[in-house]
Amino acid sequence: MSKFKDVFVVDDDKVFHFIIKKLFTKNNIEIIPSFYVNGLEAIEKIKEKIRLGVNLPDLILLDINMPIMDGWQFLDEFRQTREANPDEQTVIYLVSSSDSQSDINKAKEYQDQIQDYFFKPMTLEDLKKIF
Amino acid sequence: MEAYDYADLKLLEEKNNFYKKLLFQSPDLIFQFTISLEGKLHFPFLSKSVITHFDLTPDEKNSDAFSVLKSKILPEDYVGFLNSIEESRAFLRNWSHEYRARLPVKGLRWYKATATVEQSPNGSVNFFGKVTDVTDYKAQELKLKLSEQRFHFALEASSEGIWDLDVRTQKVFYSSQSMKMLQFEAKDTIDSIDMWDDRVHPMDKEKYLVDIQLHINNKTPYYENAQRVLTNSGEYKWILSRGKIIERDSKNRPLRIIGTHTDISGQKEKEQELMQTLEIVGAQNSRLLNFAHIVSHNLRSHSGNIEMLLDIIDEEEEQEMIDESFGHLRSSSNALTQTIDHLKELVEIQTELIHKRENLNLNKYLGKTLDILAEEINKNKVVIKNSISHEETITFNPAYLESVLLNFTSNAIKYSHPDRPPVISYSITTNHTQKILKITDNGLGINLEKHGKKLFGMYKTFHKNQDSRGIGLFITKNQIEAMGGTVAVKSQVGKGTTFKIYFNE
Repeated sequence: MSKFKDVFVVDDDKVFHFIIKKLFTKNNIEIIPSFYVNGLEAIEKIKEKIRLGVNLPDLILLDINMPIMDGWQFLDEFRQTREANPDEQTVIYLVSSSDSQSDINKAKEYQDQIQDYFFKPMTLEDLKKIF
Repeated sequence: MEAYDYADLKLLEEKNNFYKKLLFQSPDLIFQFTISLEGKLHFPFLSKSVITHFDLTPDEKNSDAFSVLKSKILPEDYVGFLNSIEESRAFLRNWSHEYRARLPVKGLRWYKATATVEQSPNGSVNFFGKVTDVTDYKAQELKLKLSEQRFHFALEASSEGIWDLDVRTQKVFYSSQSMKMLQFEAKDTIDSIDMWDDRVHPMDKEKYLVDIQLHINNKTPYYENAQRVLTNSGEYKWILSRGKIIERDSKNRPLRIIGTHTDISGQKEKEQELMQTLEIVGAQNSRLLNFAHIVSHNLRSHSGNIEMLLDIIDEEEEQEMIDESFGHLRSSSNALTQTIDHLKELVEIQTELIHKRENLNLNKYLGKTLDILAEEINKNKVVIKNSISHEETITFNPAYLESVLLNFTSNAIKYSHPDRPPVISYSITTNHTQKILKITDNGLGINLEKHGKKLFGMYKTFHKNQDSRGIGLFITKNQIEAMGGTVAVKSQVGKGTTFKIYFNE
């Protein structure tokens, strides 16, 4: 049932990785996502893909608050990479526990890059919106 | 017998008439009295005006002069009057005396009599002179004296100083209170505007001159300026200076400005204290707000996980999956507990009204900290450099001191540079009110431009990493501030970080 083939989950919470995996299988989403614990790991993987000339992920579920490189910094880095590869289409959703107004406002600044902002825990409705 | 020319006689007569007129008809009260060798007093001459002014009857005119004087002069002044005449007579000295007389119609009047004193060949002494009614002048003088006394008393009694500037001469009168404010004695002559202006704090001078100019230009109804002024002892005092132009020339330029000085140092000090308190409260408030967001974020992320995991366990049939879910459940539950512990710790600092303070030996507490971290220190081959003397003490809460030292030291180890062995140095310096503990490392450093504002603000704890730097620093900062201290940081990326902790003694 998936319209996505290559999915990145970028979140420092390992429990969340496990939950996403289970959510996917339960809802017959037959994809095994690649998991990264911070923005830097994910962006390095993306750069490697560009070097190798392979396709970029078509879906990224991105957490905001992570060590080393947070979600916002990842989006900044990713924007630059995308500019170099304008044909690539990657859909990004923010998935965070933060309901602070400053994060919600900041998400608006990035609305050209992100599809939507989901609060944790993710619901079945959220998943249906994505897939 | 001498013969006179007719013309001469004519001239003499004319002159005589002139003097007669002058003497008899002049409004001045002119008199001559004579004291004989026997001590008798009589008036050989009184101008018409004297007779009318003092309402003298023909009888009085010719009777004994003493009794006439006694009937007119106020009893209290009579003896003084006689004494002054006697003195002038005895020493043939010109006479001048002030006295009061009570007249039938005019009532009580003040007089001033002056006379030239001459002795005639027969030994009697003549007084030629005039009497002036000085009642109005005396009344004015009395009024002036009263108001001067009142003003003088007001100056002395008031806590405000008074200044009075003559713009043309640039001379100023400063009241003793103004002088006292600047710690000058009344004998010190401070009387030019420059002497004041030169003492105004450089930072306050521009506004002071602007404020006074505004009033000179009629833009303000009066002049008012709060300024720091250098006192004689070399310290600054806050003085509120106010004034008003009370006289201008025809071109509207000020001629005279009068004003007051009020010592507002105490008020200013309180104002500053209040500002500092507000700053601390404001910073604490914004940190608490931030903290509320973090708590909500972290609690939500853990409770969300727990909720999802329970759903999985409910629906899962495979034992292996259930076991794995329980493992995750446990770590989520642990993380939740840790978040709540942090919260508790923080609330304790914020609510504990009386923070226990003790005199603590700094080295003893540092030793304790290094013992706790011994394993980490050995593992990472950390070099500790301690230049704090064995006697050094600070006044602080013991539990907080442990926490502060532990936090800064463990951070220095955690964020050490991979290319070199970590070195952590401890030293202490003193300024006049504070002891400053310096903890320097040669670690990764922090990009303060990027993270400086957030360093103590716990933003970093947003991520769910167990050992995040932020919460520790946040708690540490709160503990230091609860003890009235402050903390500052300097850092260079790739070189290292120095934390300075200011302990209020």
